[in-house]
Amino acid sequence: MNGDIVRLTLRQLVGKRRTVFMVLVALLPSVLATAFRASGEGDPAEWASTQLLGGMVVAMLLPLAGLVFGTAILGTEIDDGTAVYLLARPIPRREILLSKLCVAWLLTAVFVAASLLVAGTIALEGTDEWGALIAGFVVATVAGSLAYCTVFTLLSLLTGRAFIAGLLYVFIWEGLVTALFDGTRLLSLRHATLGLAGYVASVSRDTFDPELGGATSVAVLILAVAAAGWLAVVKLQRFEIGESG
Amino acid sequence: MTTEPERAGSIYDLGYRSYGGTRLGRRHAVRTVYVESLRSAFGLGRRASSKVIPVILLVIVLLPAAVHLGIAAASRQQMDIVKPEDYSSFVEVILALFVAAQAPELAGRDQRNRTLSLYFSRAIERRDYALAKLGALVSAMLVLTLVPQAVLFVGNAFTTNDALEYLREDAANVPRVLASSVLVSGLCASVALAIASRTPRRAYATGGIIAIFVGSAAIGGILDATVGRYGIMVSLFDLMTGATYWIFSAEHEYEVATELMFAAVVGVTAISVGLILRRYERIPA
Repeated sequence: MNGDIVRLTLRQLVGKRRTVFMVLVALLPSVLATAFRASGEGDPAEWASTQLLGGMVVAMLLPLAGLVFGTAILGTEIDDGTAVYLLARPIPRREILLSKLCVAWLLTAVFVAASLLVAGTIALEGTDEWGALIAGFVVATVAGSLAYCTVFTLLSLLTGRAFIAGLLYVFIWEGLVTALFDGTRLLSLRHATLGLAGYVASVSRDTFDPELGGATSVAVLILAVAAAGWLAVVKLQRFEIGESG
Repeated sequence: MTTEPERAGSIYDLGYRSYGGTRLGRRHAVRTVYVESLRSAFGLGRRASSKVIPVILLVIVLLPAAVHLGIAAASRQQMDIVKPEDYSSFVEVILALFVAAQAPELAGRDQRNRTLSLYFSRAIERRDYALAKLGALVSAMLVLTLVPQAVLFVGNAFTTNDALEYLREDAANVPRVLASSVLVSGLCASVALAIASRTPRRAYATGGIIAIFVGSAAIGGILDATVGRYGIMVSLFDLMTGATYWIFSAEHEYEVATELMFAAVVGVTAISVGLILRRYERIPA
C-alpha cells in the first residue's frame, strides 16, 4: 500500500461530475423504498430482500458502481496517457495496483452500503428482519464490491472498451444468461453476493431464498478476487510504457 | 493533367502544386462520412476487436426470432410466441447497449483525435457532418431492428402450410414494422448521439447513454407507482413500446393513451436532433 497513490487516486475520483452522478443514482433505491412504504402493500421483508436490496441494489447499483470506479482507477490513466508517469516510478507495480484497487473498493463499498442502509431502513423499519437483512446485505455488498472492482480493473487492463464490456457482462451474462440457464449462476458475481447475503442474514427461506449457498458464494467471491487480482498484477507488470500511445 | 498555375504576385515560388483533380463536392463528402460511419458502427474496416461487441449484440438481437422459429419448426405448427409488435420490447436493453457502445465510436473518435477541424475546413458543413453521423447511427439501428423482423416474417411464412396465404394476410404488417423500426431506431440513435457528441471520452458517453435509458425506466416505474399513471412517460423504453403498440393498434396494458406515447417519442427525438445540431454548430474545432 502506498499512501501517495491512494491520495492521488482519491483526488482523481472524488468531486468530479462522475461522483455527483453516482450520488444521484445511489439515492434511487431510497426513493423506491419511500414509494413502497407509502403504498403500504406487500410484505416489507420479502419485498426489500428480493426487489429492493437483491434486485436494485445488488443487481444494478453494485455492479455499476464497481464498473465506474473499477475501470476509472487505471483505465482512465491509460486512456489519458498519464499512466506512464505513475508506472515509471520506482514503485512495484503490484503496489500501484493494490493501492488503486483499495480506493476503488472503498468508494464502491461506501456508495453501495450507504445507499443500502438508508433504503433498507426506510423499507424495513419496524419489522423483525430489519437487523438481520441489513447486516447480511452490508457484509455481502462490501465483499461483492471487492470482487466487482477487481474483475473490472482487470478488464480495463485487457481492453480499451472495458466500460461497455463490463456492461455486457452485467446486463447479458448476469441479467439474461443466468436467468435462462441455472448452472451459469455459479459464474455470476451477483448470485455469489446474494448467496452471501442470505447466508449472513439467515432469515427464513420464505422471505429470501438465494440460489447459491453460503460456502459456495464465499468460494466464488474469493476465487474471483484472487484470479482477477493476480492476472491484473501480471498484466500491469508486463505493461510496456510507450505502447499505450 | 495539371497545368502550371499562374505565378502572378508571388514573391517566392515555393513550387507547391495545387490540386488539379476533380472536386467531388459537398454531396460526395456527406455520403462518404455517412458510409464510413455506418461501417464503423459495425467495426468494418477496423481491427477485429472493434467488431466483437457489435457482432455479439447483433447475434443476441436475432435470438428471439431464431428461438421462435426453432420452436415453431419443432412443434410443426404456427406459433404466436414472438409477435412483431413485441419484438423491440424484448430486445430494448440490447438496443440501448448497442447505441451506448457505438455512438461514442461515431461521435467521440473525431473529437479525441482532434480531426473535426479537418472535416470542417472541407466542403462539408457542420450541419452536414452532424446529420451524416446521425443518419449512419439510425441506419445501423435499422439493421438491428429490421433484420430480426424480416427473419421472423419470412420464417413464419415458411412454417405455415401455405406460405403465399400467410404473406397475403400479414402483408399489412410490413409498413407497421417499417414505421415502428424507424421510430425506435430514430429515438435510440438521436438520444445516444446527443449525449455522445458532448464528450470525447468513451466511458463517459457510454455510461451516460446507458444511464439515461435504464435510469429513465427505473424512475418512470417509481413515478408510475407513486405520482400517477403519466409517470411512465418518463421511461424511454416504455415510450418506445407504447408508440410501437400504437402503430400496430395492438392490445396493451398501459394506462396512458398510446398515441400520447407516440407523440412523446417524436418529441424526444426532435429535441435530441436539435441538441446534436446545436452541439455541432458550437463545438470548437
